[in-house]
Amino acid sequence: MNVNGQRVHPEDPTARLLDFLRDDLDLRAAKEGCGMGECGSCTVLVDGRTVCSCLVLVGQIADSDIVTAEALERSDPPGRPGLTDRLRAELVDHHAPQCGFCIPGLIVSAHAVLTEHLSPTDEQICCGLEGNLCRCTGYRSFVRAIQAVGR
Amino acid sequence: MTRAPAPLATTVQERSALIVGQSLPADDAWPIVTGALEFVTDRRVDGMLHAAIAHATVPHALIQSIDVTAARAVPGVVAVLLGGDVPVNALGDDDGDGPVIVDTVVRQLGDPIALVAAVDEATAQAAAAAVTAAYLPLPIVDSARSALEPGAPQLHDKGNVAGHLAFASGDVDAAIRGAYLTVERHVRTPVQEHVALETPGGIAMPDGVGVTVWCGSQFPGVHRRKIARALNIDIADVRLISNPVGGAFGSRNDDPMPVYLAVLAWATRRPVHLKMSREDVMLIGQKRHPFDITTRTGFSSDGRIVASDMTALVDTGPYTTSGPNVLKTSAELSVGPYRMPMARFDGTVVYTNNANGGAFRGYGVPQSAFAIETAMTQAAADLGIDPVELRLMNILRGGDEHALYRHHVTTSLRAAETLQAAAEHAWWRDRAAWRAAATGPWLRGTGIALAMKGVGLGSGKGDTSRARLIVSREGVVQIWAGPNHTGQSIDSSYRQVAADTLGIPMDRIRMTVGDSQLVPEAGSTSSSRSMYAGGEVVRRACVELLDRIETSTGTRVVDPSTCRALIDSGDAEILAEFRLPDSDLGMIPPGQLVTFAPHLVFGCSAQVARLEVNRYTGELHVCGIVCAIDCGTAINPAGVIGQAEGGVTQGLGYAVMEEHLIAGGRPLTKSLETYAIPTSRDVPPIETILVDGSEPTGPMGAKGMSEVVVVPTAPAIAAAVLDAAGVLPDRIPITPERMMRWMSGEQEAIA
Ligand code: FES
Ligand code: FES
Repeated sequence: MNVNGQRVHPEDPTARLLDFLRDDLDLRAAKEGCGMGECGSCTVLVDGRTVCSCLVLVGQIADSDIVTAEALERSDPPGRPGLTDRLRAELVDHHAPQCGFCIPGLIVSAHAVLTEHLSPTDEQICCGLEGNLCRCTGYRSFVRAIQAVGR
Repeated sequence: MTRAPAPLATTVQERSALIVGQSLPADDAWPIVTGALEFVTDRRVDGMLHAAIAHATVPHALIQSIDVTAARAVPGVVAVLLGGDVPVNALGDDDGDGPVIVDTVVRQLGDPIALVAAVDEATAQAAAAAVTAAYLPLPIVDSARSALEPGAPQLHDKGNVAGHLAFASGDVDAAIRGAYLTVERHVRTPVQEHVALETPGGIAMPDGVGVTVWCGSQFPGVHRRKIARALNIDIADVRLISNPVGGAFGSRNDDPMPVYLAVLAWATRRPVHLKMSREDVMLIGQKRHPFDITTRTGFSSDGRIVASDMTALVDTGPYTTSGPNVLKTSAELSVGPYRMPMARFDGTVVYTNNANGGAFRGYGVPQSAFAIETAMTQAAADLGIDPVELRLMNILRGGDEHALYRHHVTTSLRAAETLQAAAEHAWWRDRAAWRAAATGPWLRGTGIALAMKGVGLGSGKGDTSRARLIVSREGVVQIWAGPNHTGQSIDSSYRQVAADTLGIPMDRIRMTVGDSQLVPEAGSTSSSRSMYAGGEVVRRACVELLDRIETSTGTRVVDPSTCRALIDSGDAEILAEFRLPDSDLGMIPPGQLVTFAPHLVFGCSAQVARLEVNRYTGELHVCGIVCAIDCGTAINPAGVIGQAEGGVTQGLGYAVMEEHLIAGGRPLTKSLETYAIPTSRDVPPIETILVDGSEPTGPMGAKGMSEVVVVPTAPAIAAAVLDAAGVLPDRIPITPERMMRWMSGEQEAIA
């Protein structure tokens, strides 16, 4: 599989993608908040789709392209370079992160919302982030930041 | 894209605007959004071991034996530690504090009976699962009431009462007998789980004769003492680095995780990593104390409160943790932000085999405030007085006497203005139109509630913050200060205070928090004290720097030449201290201030909730919340708004969805599948209003606010339910099932 553009060869096909990223590749942006698909802290892109990396075994996605928060700009849609940078900057400028533990997963979902919708509505953003729990913010700052990117 | 740090200014810049009061991003914000920030559980070191916890499989039992043979035989296991392997196997001086590793009595399902260290995580977990114990089961104490029954099994040497607090400021019974209206309520509040997104964990390593531990902590001083006690070493030999960490909300106050890590590293002489699973935290992590409250509030015919009388029974579960201290803040705020001639509070905290209670944002206030605020809502309805009017008629103003202890509260209290600010919002003013526009099965309503919460640990506790400051020859000011942060970007706000005090730009100030080796003991990140206590001590350090520069050079300018002058004269290092001011005694007997620990300084929040209730299904849609805040000066307004929105969201979860359930000592809500917290789709628009004000003892007029914002949400929602559906909830969370029962007039059986 490819992770952030690098060809990698997992030894153990039964490893969870999350553990493979964090322990074998030292990519520790994706976090474990629950280990059962409930919190979204482990969200990464698998072939462009948001996936909870705690629920996927590397053997299931042997030929896939994985993108994590560290290299999110790799999945900026053609014709919209700089989307990741804008998203990051708006999150910072809107004071969206508090503790930040949810952010590496949440930003992947936010990026997916912005990839699908040029100017997402409040409802589209909230649906897109529904799988990402944040216990610090109340999500409204994320909505404001994402709408600012869409403008 | 990365943002290069701004070039270091080496000359004094002209600064036209104040930095305090500007919304500035957190110092950590950019590493967070790029995924680069390393949290304590992300840290890895070469050669580290991985640990796991072996849990008791029964809720209450005597341990007859523990068998570690199979666990030790798992290849790759380095150590299996039992209670006897901990030099002093105690988390505190009292039996009620519990042991580090349980070795004689199990008091809750999941109590740690062994800590395992192994070469990798899977091996550690396999070995932990292989630890077995023979138990002699004991009867289970499954409720606070049953804990007090004669013949109930006693959880600790001293019995089942962990704490009791009673105070009266007058003959409350007589006053209530003479009242025109007495509102009697019996309310119950749920166990709430913090769900800090990073589960407890970190890494520890042996360090000379002591240990260094990277683990979230809201009270590094106390955690270091616990580690030193357990390992029988000096506190000076315990270094604790407590951030960055993924949220806290009180959960990292009573958490024994730093002790587990230290014990593991000390015993194996190797670095050890341990991170709890979410299920483990749900099982044994401390949670918000459930309260069973009976309250009587007496009113005169024109709406003045004549007395308040509150009795609370609190379940702290198997260990004391913050239980008795939580009771103090509950008692203090049992009278809300109101004036009245007298009040009484009587509270008891008991041990059970239920979930362990602990510190949680609001610290006992959400519970007693739910009782008093819903009583105010009920009284307004019964007396036919507007709920805002009724509250204003009784409102506590700055400098007034507190209703229970009769001490004087800070002059900065702006409860009246905060309530008025919320009531001026269109969502309150237009409530009749909102109600009238209800359609189909949906009923509509609007509610309002008010609360205050003390700032700091309370009077008599010697609550003190500290900071250290040095200057460099280039005119850069380095400050080590506390409290540390658990996600509030407090370090950025400290820098704002320092920049304005010193009259230099922020990029000439370096701020370090959260490393006990560098930061002098600064107290807890709790009780809404960080901005107030930490900000003020930073300000004091900076004022001392200006004073020294003036003495040395005749100017109050911080630049390379004046800094060099201080360095050359050996005056470049400053240690500052801020002892938080105590209140006067009021009616508290001399020598007993610490027993009740009343506050001088309070933050305040008033909230309006508008919602819809489905008359057929009981479903609730909260459609909007207004949150007005009295926090004195908002040092970083965006930070305050972030705290407000997050606090309201936790209050919303508490009000309508969150409840940790346990039956017979066995939790039913074991994971985030069954314990739901608000998602992006559950949170309505939140409008935050910052009320002008200034606290004379706080840094640039600031005081704390990040707990009080959790408090009014549930009673405001309950009031809105009354407006919509004609029933006033007496327990939370307000689930559809409960709504249906209330609307059909059924009474819920009291457990
Ligand atoms: S860790 Fe994967 S969803 Fe929570
Ligand atoms: S910022 Fe802390 S969990 Fe989202």
